Amino acid sequence: MEVLRIKNLSKNYGSIKALNNLSLVVNSGEIMGILGPNGSGKTTTLGIILGILKANSGQFTWFNNKYENHRLRIGSILETPNFFPYLNADENLDIVRQIKGVSDKNYDDVLELVKLKGRRKSQFRTFSLGMKQRLAIAATLIGDPDVVIFDEPTNGLDPEGIAEVRRTLQNVASRGKTVIMASHILDEVEKICSHVTIIKRGKLMASGNVGSILSTDLTLELGSTDLMQLKGFLAAQQGITNINMIGAIIECNAKEDINVADLNRAAFAQNISLTHLVARKTRLEEEFLKITGKPSKN
Amino acid sequence: MIKLLKLEFSKFRKSTVVILLSTMFIVFLPFSLSVGKLFKDLPPMLPSEEVFVRFSTIWEYLGYAGNWMVFFFIGVLIIYTITLEVSYKTLRQSIIIGMTRNQYFLSKLYLILTISVIVTLYYTVIALIIGFINTPDADMAMAFSNEWAIPRFFLMSIGYLSFAMMIAYLVRNSGLAVFLYLSIVLLIEPLARLGHVKFLGAKFQNYYPMNCTEDLMPLPLLKIADYVKSSDFDLVVLLSYKTAAIATIIWSAIFIGISYYNFTKRDL
Repeated sequence: MEVLRIKNLSKNYGSIKALNNLSLVVNSGEIMGILGPNGSGKTTTLGIILGILKANSGQFTWFNNKYENHRLRIGSILETPNFFPYLNADENLDIVRQIKGVSDKNYDDVLELVKLKGRRKSQFRTFSLGMKQRLAIAATLIGDPDVVIFDEPTNGLDPEGIAEVRRTLQNVASRGKTVIMASHILDEVEKICSHVTIIKRGKLMASGNVGSILSTDLTLELGSTDLMQLKGFLAAQQGITNINMIGAIIECNAKEDINVADLNRAAFAQNISLTHLVARKTRLEEEFLKITGKPSKN
Repeated sequence: MIKLLKLEFSKFRKSTVVILLSTMFIVFLPFSLSVGKLFKDLPPMLPSEEVFVRFSTIWEYLGYAGNWMVFFFIGVLIIYTITLEVSYKTLRQSIIIGMTRNQYFLSKLYLILTISVIVTLYYTVIALIIGFINTPDADMAMAFSNEWAIPRFFLMSIGYLSFAMMIAYLVRNSGLAVFLYLSIVLLIEPLARLGHVKFLGAKFQNYYPMNCTEDLMPLPLLKIADYVKSSDFDLVVLLSYKTAAIATIIWSAIFIGISYYNFTKRDL
């Protein structure tokens, strides 16, 4: 089932084009990561689909317009956790419950999930950044929403906080929710998401499941006593691209059907002795840099 | 409506600023009448200090004190309940998690209406209690012989609070909004009226928004000044209650309309 369809969305801030005809579809059960460098339009996209920003053109539909107030079926954190600092965790969650029109006043379940049950009577202002973020995650789950949206959920957290939030997100995802997560932390997206959308300067650069985005190439790392000779050898091979010397090794992309043992043998036949040879699937980071590194067509 | 009001109550019942401003209004309104007792030499037109605490003049003097207090304490409170939600970003969050912009706007509008009802009820109760204690042989007919003071006080509250709401929605910053609100009422509008009289004549100078609202509960002594001025010169000091009421309703509708347009059309 289609959860979200974005069609030709554009948004300008004065002369700056924050979104440029962005189109995107998110289906039920997907864990969609929206990736992009800072200022690429991730938060603007989320702001528009959550109703706090107005698009200049384009449209979006939630749940095929099936529900009168679709936002009651969405849990979301946008940028920072936003609560009343003088209220405690329970009281802040109660405000969310009232807005969502949920009758159940028991927050044990969600507070347990984010490990805040022991601090439920503490004022929000006394929480650490990680605890604030976890309370925000708890708030997104009130009313058992179909979709949860997180915008940079680990922003500003220390490594322990990041690990805590990441564990919580994985718990949320394992409950079968559709998750949309904007981040510039590629490792985070790669570990959590099933699908990924890459945007740059408000334009869609790539979208699909993580496998389809990553599966086209292998990344090879090679070392030799004569790097220049090795570089020339690689340049002459079919299916090898993007040859870069990085310190004492050469990194390049290779088609996934390349036989690494054959490559080693061919090098040896040309008196090139490889001191280092590693073949691995292309990481999202490399793919991301490759995609966003190219200048946008417009 | 009840659901939205309950939500507003949940948000602000523990806010120190809201508690402080409400308490100051509750405490200072009845005590404002005792200020009259401090004057040893009353102006000649006042027969005695009893006018401050007896029917029917208590409605006017307490109303005038309430005029200042609603303008200051309750007006600032309304600004705070809106701008605080901007600075805590709970306004955005309310929309994100499911409120429509109309619902959010209505919650603040209902808050204004409810607070206006509450302060008017408080004004009524205080006037009745103090009036009955201090007026010999008072009865209900005498007690409520007050030239529609209760609805005038309610309209006056709506006038101030809708203006405060508009400033809060337009400016969105607590300090700046309070500064602008106080400046307009205390300085900018009076100066504009002076300029109006100087360059455009006295006609229409009474119809400035905050002046219309103030004239619903004016300083009682101004009524005498108005009588003298109006007879000797072609200058009206005070609008009639009916005119002030109609003008306040129109201005309030404009303020609410501007607030609504601004809130629903702009990015949050």
